[in-house]
Amino acid sequence: MTTEQTGAAVGPAIGGAPVDTAAPLASGARPGLFPPVPRQVTVAKVIIGVVLSAAALYAPFYFEPTINRVLSQAIYIAIAAMGLNLLTGFTGQVSIGHGAFYGVGAFTSAILMIDYGWTFEVTILASVVINAVLGFLIGVPALRVRGLYLALVTLGLAVLFPRVAQKFVDGTGGVALLRPPRSDFSSLIDGLADDQWAYFLSLAIMVVLFILAWNLVRGRVGRAMIAVRDQEIAATTVGVNLAGTKVATFAISAAYAGVAGSLSVMIDRLADGTNPILYFQRSIEFLVAMTIGGAATMLGPAVGALVLVLLRRNTEDLIEGKEILAPALYGAALIAIVFVLPEGLVGGVNRLLARLGRRSSAKGRPPTRPIPDDSQ
Amino acid sequence: MRGPKFRIVAALLALALVGAACSGRDDDDTATDEDSGGEEAAGSSIDTADCVADPTAEIEGDEIKLVSSYPQSGATAAFSQIARGWKAYFQMVNEAGGVEIAGNNYTIVTEDKDDQYNPATTAQNIDELVGADGENAFATFSVVGTANNLAIRDQLGELCVPNLFAATGAPIMGSEDYPWTLGSSLSPYSLEGKAFADLLAEQNPEAKVAMLVQDDDFGTAYEEGFQAAIEGTDIEVVKVEKYATGAAEVSAQITSLAASGADAFFNGGTLLACPDALTKAAAAGWTPITWISATCTSKTLMGVAGQAGDGVYSYTNLKDPLNPDFDADPAMQEYREVVAQYQPEADLDNAIVGYGWTQAALLVQVLENAEAPTRLAVMESMHNFEASEEGVLLPGVTVHTGDGDNFLGEAYQTMQYEFEAAGARNHFVLIGTELTDVEGETLDLTPEDLING
Repeated sequence: MTTEQTGAAVGPAIGGAPVDTAAPLASGARPGLFPPVPRQVTVAKVIIGVVLSAAALYAPFYFEPTINRVLSQAIYIAIAAMGLNLLTGFTGQVSIGHGAFYGVGAFTSAILMIDYGWTFEVTILASVVINAVLGFLIGVPALRVRGLYLALVTLGLAVLFPRVAQKFVDGTGGVALLRPPRSDFSSLIDGLADDQWAYFLSLAIMVVLFILAWNLVRGRVGRAMIAVRDQEIAATTVGVNLAGTKVATFAISAAYAGVAGSLSVMIDRLADGTNPILYFQRSIEFLVAMTIGGAATMLGPAVGALVLVLLRRNTEDLIEGKEILAPALYGAALIAIVFVLPEGLVGGVNRLLARLGRRSSAKGRPPTRPIPDDSQ
Repeated sequence: MRGPKFRIVAALLALALVGAACSGRDDDDTATDEDSGGEEAAGSSIDTADCVADPTAEIEGDEIKLVSSYPQSGATAAFSQIARGWKAYFQMVNEAGGVEIAGNNYTIVTEDKDDQYNPATTAQNIDELVGADGENAFATFSVVGTANNLAIRDQLGELCVPNLFAATGAPIMGSEDYPWTLGSSLSPYSLEGKAFADLLAEQNPEAKVAMLVQDDDFGTAYEEGFQAAIEGTDIEVVKVEKYATGAAEVSAQITSLAASGADAFFNGGTLLACPDALTKAAAAGWTPITWISATCTSKTLMGVAGQAGDGVYSYTNLKDPLNPDFDADPAMQEYREVVAQYQPEADLDNAIVGYGWTQAALLVQVLENAEAPTRLAVMESMHNFEASEEGVLLPGVTVHTGDGDNFLGEAYQTMQYEFEAAGARNHFVLIGTELTDVEGETLDLTPEDLING
């Protein structure tokens, strides 16, 4: 799985961006966005990447279908969290409304399949288009507000969406619940069971989307996004199109959430409008996945999503007869992670590797070029 | 104290939760590898050609696993008492050696999850409990709710996993198109329409009726079922109000219904919406002749209504534990004794515990009648079933399916709630001594689209 390798390899550059990139820029000591990385660190990252990729490819053959479904859920949450990462992590615009885009994606796929007989894979493309347009339309007025106010406006979206679904969707049992038949998601590859097919299809889409995101943030656009996040006024003075950057990021980010929603129909086998707070919960989950994985890192959303779904699942039945405590345990574990790893898991690993790399190169041969001083 | 070691320990503890409880894939036990269900069992009325899991595979081992999903917490928890009844019955059967199918004895094992009456959660619960290919359970049993059962019906049908004794009276549970789902002894909701229409014909033949129904197929069954029942009479529906599925508060709807000038009230609410409707109607000074949903006749919900429930009508086909007339009844005594022994937390006076108990008794009969320990055989047994005097069924009630009749509870007796005082043994009093038995007529008495969607 290439993203994880390549992503891991460049991780340090983009990882920890809130601190690391701002500091050299401000001090003027280092003009580039990507400080050089000690070779040992690069090697360590490649090894980690290879191991993770191998694990990701082998997992669906090892685990039973129930676990594979959980892993697939992690994948779609990772995709949505990556979309949010582009908007919040890199561009600094907080959205609590991505659950709504996710919901639009889910219902787009479910409705196109059930009422119009579309193939599932094609509905994903429709989902991308619809959500990008929707994200654009919502992104334009959202330009006028920022910070907490933007969070509140987008929160409205997440709360509104189930009502809209309840009003216009008439599904099974007379409620806003759509369930495409199982046969619509059959494996297209011989030798892969349905659950494995769903996993690999999701994984492939995630890899593509992560590579796209990586390409986006490491180039000119990415620098513009980070500039918008860190210092809007300074960004405009150097010619960054503030409105364009924000709206485009909003649209792209919404499209990611839409793809996640489409995939969720295949994995959970339903699109649900019956629960008034479901899409609000989803929004929060995307934020949490991004944060505990590491905001503004390339692998953070994936790691965060995996940790999130496994935590959720494993706290459920941890204490026999005390299921009511599950949300508390789950919450406490999340707090513990954020408390000890404020930069997220990937951010924390990056920091650890950077420290180890510095130590080993300081001990061993003299460095061929100066190591950036970021010892704080 | 907050050194790096502390941080590392905290992080490891949190992450340990992530890694817990992941078990490996076991490819041996999937019955799906073979050409599943290709051969149609001789003489079977159920089409098994497209089954994902082979319905003719026999149970391995000596356990039969039943799974369920029903509301267990929050404002919808009242229905969780049903399970205490069936769990107690199964424990009793297991203690006595288990259930015998085709000469072998099987222990009944159950597992259930809370869905808070939300159909999407039911779907996820059942998907997980049954497994992607039906490998984790033999059948589902007593899943509560109309929309909830409809949310799992297609998937279970594709898998060919029996969905037995669905705890809903929606006539759609008797659809021929979905042979793997069948309802319980709770009478079809369209018959409540008929019963209320018959009652009004006696008491107020020109009644103007206001209806409160849930905004889903459960409510549609009441609305259309009653409309069909009053066809050709002078009874007229003047107003229908709907409330969101699972809502507990309906005062706006009651204000509107009370203002409609109706002198009869069909309260199709369930869970807390039902007593809330009664209380709000009483508070508004609106005193129509009232029918309440048979799903609302439990002690919990009528207890919430209290004085406001006095005089309301409904029907049943079970003996009510609160009714002193049944105190000396041997079936009622056995029920009380066994449930108290195995499920001490159960509310023995609650009629829905008796409902759960009775469904378990019927299921055990269905299993014992099956010709083989297979899903197909059990489903066929369910489709050709006759029983009476099981559980706490009223004397004379016969539960019967077969020959295209997919409705179990087609006999009922109308009853009226008598509220004496708070804390007293308030209960429904059966009206008259005669059962109304419409065995085999539900298809004719119910609008076609309520059954086949």
